[in-house]
Amino acid sequence: MFINWKLREINLKIVYYGPSLSGKTSSLQYIHSRTRPDRRGELISLKTREDRTLYFDYMQFEMGEISGLKPRFNIYTVPGQVYYRGTRKLVLKGVDGIVFVADSQTKRLQDNVQAVKDLYEDLEELGFDPWDVPLILQCNKRDLPNIMPVHSIKESMGLNGVPAYESVAVDGAGVLDSLKNIINEVVAKARGKIYPSPA
Amino acid sequence: MMKQGLHIPEEMLDRIDYILAHLAEKAHTDSIVLADISGQVISLQGIMDQGTPAVVAALAAGDVAAMAELSSRIGEQDPHGSFFHEGETKSIYLHNIAGSFILIVIFRSETPIGLVRLFAKRAVEQLLPITEEFEEIMGPPADYSPDDFRKGITQELDDTFMD
Repeated sequence: MFINWKLREINLKIVYYGPSLSGKTSSLQYIHSRTRPDRRGELISLKTREDRTLYFDYMQFEMGEISGLKPRFNIYTVPGQVYYRGTRKLVLKGVDGIVFVADSQTKRLQDNVQAVKDLYEDLEELGFDPWDVPLILQCNKRDLPNIMPVHSIKESMGLNGVPAYESVAVDGAGVLDSLKNIINEVVAKARGKIYPSPA
Repeated sequence: MMKQGLHIPEEMLDRIDYILAHLAEKAHTDSIVLADISGQVISLQGIMDQGTPAVVAALAAGDVAAMAELSSRIGEQDPHGSFFHEGETKSIYLHNIAGSFILIVIFRSETPIGLVRLFAKRAVEQLLPITEEFEEIMGPPADYSPDDFRKGITQELDDTFMD
């Protein structure tokens, strides 16, 4: 979170995290397509020759002024492939909220479990308390056969207490619900940071 | 545990703007962006299209982080240096300030890099103590209501996305 009192802007960073090919970039593309053009910036994608995310995908959107402050949201995805772990970590710097995009297919469970383990390790290495960062689970690819029930995915990933949403990112179903919910969680958390409760 | 989140007081931004304006004048730059290490824009000097400073800051943060990692892989103890890209018409100079902030200087390629480097280095020296002060000085203005802000978000979410 970054509050510039001179410009009266509040900047918040949300990261889409998850295993490779789980639907992070598709989610961001859908968000970009459904954001009012006068409120969104360009969608930036740093891709490999094979059209896979290399560094990150990035977009910014802003909202109208609220209580004298203009909120700006910076949305990133991370590359999901295992060998880009270093890049994932740098994108997580300064994160305010995370949408974990899980692939709901049974055969991808182990990849989801490994990715959430990596996420917590990355957050710890960056100095965060992983349990203190707003997180929601977006169970993607709900239109495919051989998918696991959402409660089983949560349980297997050790994310029982985390809010979960179903999505089909290629159609956009459920994508905005996840985003709106993480924004609400992030803003609720930001309130405590601006006016912390007295000890 | 690191502190998450920064509130930048106006007085501090005035000091930053003054330093950046001086750098712009002396080094004949096109534009200057000061960003935090996670890619959030702190200050802009010069003119850019709307939305461009945010993209420039995000990409520079990725570049600086990758360069810091590269430096440490070859045994550099202090990976907080500078590097620059020489373009045909415009060039970019990036400086990682103490691992906290990134100075991004964009200038015409006919401007000597030595000039930019000299004045950027002086600006970095002046910015260094400010970066140290950042996390110490916080405080919202008296007229700000976080509860109203939280309530307002719900309405704004509906207005921002075309469901």
